[in-house]
Amino acid sequence: MNLSSSYVGLIGILGLLGVGFYGLLTTRNLIRIVIALQILVKATLLGLIVAGNTSNQINLVQSLAVTVIVADTVVAVIGIALAVQIRRRVGTLDVKELSTLRG
Amino acid sequence: MITWLVCITIVLPWLGALAVWIVGDQHPRVQHTFAMIFAVSTGLISLLLPAYVSEEIVLRLPAGGIFGEFTLVADGLGVFLAMVAAVVGSLAVIFSVDYMRGEAQLGRYYALVLLFIGAMAGLVLSGSLLLMFLFWEITAFCSYALISFHNDDPKAVAGGIKALIITSLGGIGLLAGAMIARANFDSYQINTFLEQAPKLPSDILALIAFGFLIAAAAKSAQIPFHTWLPDAMEAPTPVTALIHAATMVNAGVYLLARFYPAFEQVPGWTTAVIIVGLLSALLAAVMAAVSDDLKRALAYSTISQLGYMVYAIGTGAIFASQFHLLSHSLFKALLFLSAGAVIHSVGTRDMKQMGGLGKDMPFVRIVFVIGGLALVGLPIANGFFSKELVLEKGLAHGPLWGYVAMVICAGITALYTLRMVGMVFYGDRRKKERFHDAPSAMRVSLSVLSIGILSSWLLAGPFVDLMIRSLPFHHLEGIGTGELVMEIITAPTTWLALGIVALGFFVWSLRSQMKPLVARMEPLATFARQGLGFDWLNLQIVNLTKRSASALRTTQTGQLSWNLFGVVAGLVLVLAILTTGI
Amino acid sequence: MQIPLLIAAIIMFAFQTFRSKRLITSALWLAGVSALLSVVFFQLGGWQVAVIELSVGAGLVTILFVFAINIVGDEVVEERSLLPRSFVVGIILLNTLLMGWFLFPVISQATEGTEPPFSTMLWQERGLDILVQIVLIFAGVLGLLGLLAEAKAPLDQPIAEQVAARRESDLKALQDSSLEKEKEYAI
Repeated sequence: MNLSSSYVGLIGILGLLGVGFYGLLTTRNLIRIVIALQILVKATLLGLIVAGNTSNQINLVQSLAVTVIVADTVVAVIGIALAVQIRRRVGTLDVKELSTLRG
Repeated sequence: MITWLVCITIVLPWLGALAVWIVGDQHPRVQHTFAMIFAVSTGLISLLLPAYVSEEIVLRLPAGGIFGEFTLVADGLGVFLAMVAAVVGSLAVIFSVDYMRGEAQLGRYYALVLLFIGAMAGLVLSGSLLLMFLFWEITAFCSYALISFHNDDPKAVAGGIKALIITSLGGIGLLAGAMIARANFDSYQINTFLEQAPKLPSDILALIAFGFLIAAAAKSAQIPFHTWLPDAMEAPTPVTALIHAATMVNAGVYLLARFYPAFEQVPGWTTAVIIVGLLSALLAAVMAAVSDDLKRALAYSTISQLGYMVYAIGTGAIFASQFHLLSHSLFKALLFLSAGAVIHSVGTRDMKQMGGLGKDMPFVRIVFVIGGLALVGLPIANGFFSKELVLEKGLAHGPLWGYVAMVICAGITALYTLRMVGMVFYGDRRKKERFHDAPSAMRVSLSVLSIGILSSWLLAGPFVDLMIRSLPFHHLEGIGTGELVMEIITAPTTWLALGIVALGFFVWSLRSQMKPLVARMEPLATFARQGLGFDWLNLQIVNLTKRSASALRTTQTGQLSWNLFGVVAGLVLVLAILTTGI
Repeated sequence: MQIPLLIAAIIMFAFQTFRSKRLITSALWLAGVSALLSVVFFQLGGWQVAVIELSVGAGLVTILFVFAINIVGDEVVEERSLLPRSFVVGIILLNTLLMGWFLFPVISQATEGTEPPFSTMLWQERGLDILVQIVLIFAGVLGLLGLLAEAKAPLDQPIAEQVAARRESDLKALQDSSLEKEKEYAI
C-alpha cells in the first residue's frame, strides 16, 4: 500500500520479537515457552505479510505464510504434547526443577 | 574381469562377515567353517589380481555432489598390499580356528576380522582420496573393536579406545589433505593429485604433506604416536597378528609410499620422514630389548621394523620399503602366531615364566626361529634381502647419520630377537607341567608362513616389474631377482650389517660376564620398560583434556533458559556479522 | 489509520501474555494477539492468510492450549526468571537494534510487480510446499496422539531417582577404574 504502513509494520515485528524473546528467556514454565514460540512465529508472519505488501508480491508471500502457519501449529501441538507428558511423568513443568533431574 | 576381481576381494570378506554373523553363536563349528571358507577364497582370489595390474581406473561409482567419484584402481602398490592383507588375513583366520575354539561370541570376532580384511583391501585399492579415508576409518573402527574384543576386561577396553583415539586423530590429517586436494583440483582422484601436485602453492602442499605424515605415523604406530600398539596386545593373538602384519599398520606405510612422488619436493619432508622412521626404529628396538612380555616385545619390534620402512621411504627407496613390508608381514605374522601358540599352551605372556619350552613344542620352536632369522635379517630368509636393500639404498640416497643409526638398530634387533628365543625356548624350565605343541589348524598357517618367509624374496623381480608397469609417478628402476640378490650379496654394507648383527649376538652371549654393566644400566632399562616416557606424555595430554572438559562443564547448567539465551546470543552474533559486513 | 493502533494493541496483548499469573489467561491473551494480527493481515491485503490465521491461530491453537492446561492443571507458577533480568533486556535491545538496522533498508524499498492469483500460486507454483505440509500435518497428528496418550502405570520408584542412582554407581565405577589406572602408571 504505502511506505508508512511498512514502517509501522517494522515496529510491530520488532516489538513482537522483543516481547517473544523476553517471554522465552524469562519464563520458567514449559507451556509458556511454547506460547513464547508462538509469539515469535507471529512476528515472522507479520514480517512476511509486510514484506509482501511492500514488494507487491502478496500472493507469493501468502503461500509461504500458509506453510509457516502449518509448521508452527505442528510445533505447538508437539510442544504441548511433550509438556503434558513431562508433567505426567515427572510431575513438574518448571525448567529449574527439570534441570535438576539427571539421566 | 578385473573389475569383478577387485570388487570380490573387497566385498567377499564383508559378505563373509554378514554370513558368520547371521549363523549365530549357537553354531560355532559352522562359524569357524564359514569364516575360513570366505577368508581363504578371498586370499586365493586376491592372488589372481597381479595378472590384471594397470594404472587404469577399474570401477567408477559416482557418489554425487561434493563427494566426487568413488573409484577403484588396481595398480602394483595397491594390488600387492591387498594380496598381503587377504593372504595373511586368511592365515590368521585359519589360525583362529584353533586359537578361538570354545570362546564365546565367535560371531562378533569373525565378523570384525573379515570386515577388517575387506576394509584394508578397499583402502589400498581405492583411487579416490575420500573413499580411501572412508576405508581408513573403517579399519580404525575394526582395530578398536577387535582390540577390546574381551570387553569385560578394562585393560582391553582401554587399549581399544587408545587405538581408536590416536588413529582417528591421525585420520584428521588424511581428511584435511583430501579436502585441500578437492578444493584445488576439483577432484578426489589420487592420480590427479599426484599429477598436479607440483602446481600447488608450496605452503599448501607442505600442509598436506605433513598432515599425511601425521596420519601415517598414527596408523603405523610411529613415534610419537606409537603408544597404542603395545597396548593393543590385549587383543586375541590372531587379531594382533592381523593388525601387525596384514592390515592396520601397513596402511600408514602405504600412504607414504603412495604419495611420495607428490611430497618429494616439499622442503624438509623427506628429512622428517627419515627422522620419524629412525627414532621409531631405534627407540622401539631398545624398548623391545627390555620387555618381559612376549607380545609386547614383538609389538615393539613391529614399531621398529615399520621404522625401517618409513626410513626407506624417506630416502626415496619406495620399492625397498614395500619389499620389506612384504617380508615383515610374513615373518611378523609367523612370530605372532607362534607366540600365540606358545601363549595358548602356557597360559601366560610373561617370558620370565617360560623357558625350556623347545622340548615340548619342537614345531613351534622351528617356525619361531625361522621367523627370528628373518627379523634379524640373516641369509635365506626374506628379511635378509629386504633389510639389506633398505640399508643399501639408505646409504646410497640418504644421509650418513641415518644409515649409521639403522645399522646400530640392526644390532639391537639381533640382540632382542636372541633374547626372546632364548627366554622362551631355551634355558631352564620354570614350570613343571608339560605343554602341548601347536594343534593342526595352527600348524597349517604356521607352515605356510614359514615357506613364505624362506621363498618370498624370489618374488622381488616380478614385484618390482609390476610396480614399474602401473605406477607412472614413482620413477622406479627395474631389477631382476638374480641381479638383486647378487647386488645385495656383493655390497659391502651387507657385510657391515651382518657384522653388527654378529656383534649383537656376541653381546647376548657375553651377558653373564657383563652383569655389573647391566646392573648399572638398570635405571635406564626401567625407564625403557615404562615406554621411555611416552605413556606419561599420553597421560598428561589425557589429563589436560579432562581438566579443560570439566572446566567447560560449568557452562552447561542444564537449564532451558540458559540454553535459549545461547540461541538468542547466537542470533545476535549472526546479525552483528551481517550488518557490519565483517 | 487503524494499523498503528492495532500494532500497539498487539504488542500490549503480547506483553500481557507474560504478565499474567495464570496459564489460562496467557493462552487467552495469545488468542487476542492472533485475532488482532489477522485484522492487520486483512488491512495489508493478505486476506486469505488472515482467514487462516483467525481460524487456526486464534481458534485451533487456543483450543489446544486450553485443553492442555486443563490436563496439567492451571497452577499459579513461580515466575522468577532464572536469568538476570539485565542480561535478558540487554540482549533483546541489542537484537532489536541490529534487526531494525538490518531490516530498515530492506523494507523501505517498495517495488512494483504483478503476479498470479493466490490459488494458482499456492497449488501450482508452490506444490512442493503443500507436500511438505501434508507430512507436517501427519507429524502433528502423531503429536496429538502423544497429547492424548494415557499415562503409564506409576513406577515403583520415580524414574528420576532410578536414573540418578544408576548414574551415581556408574560414576563411582569410572572413578575407581581411573584411580587404578593412575596407580598403574605410577608404578
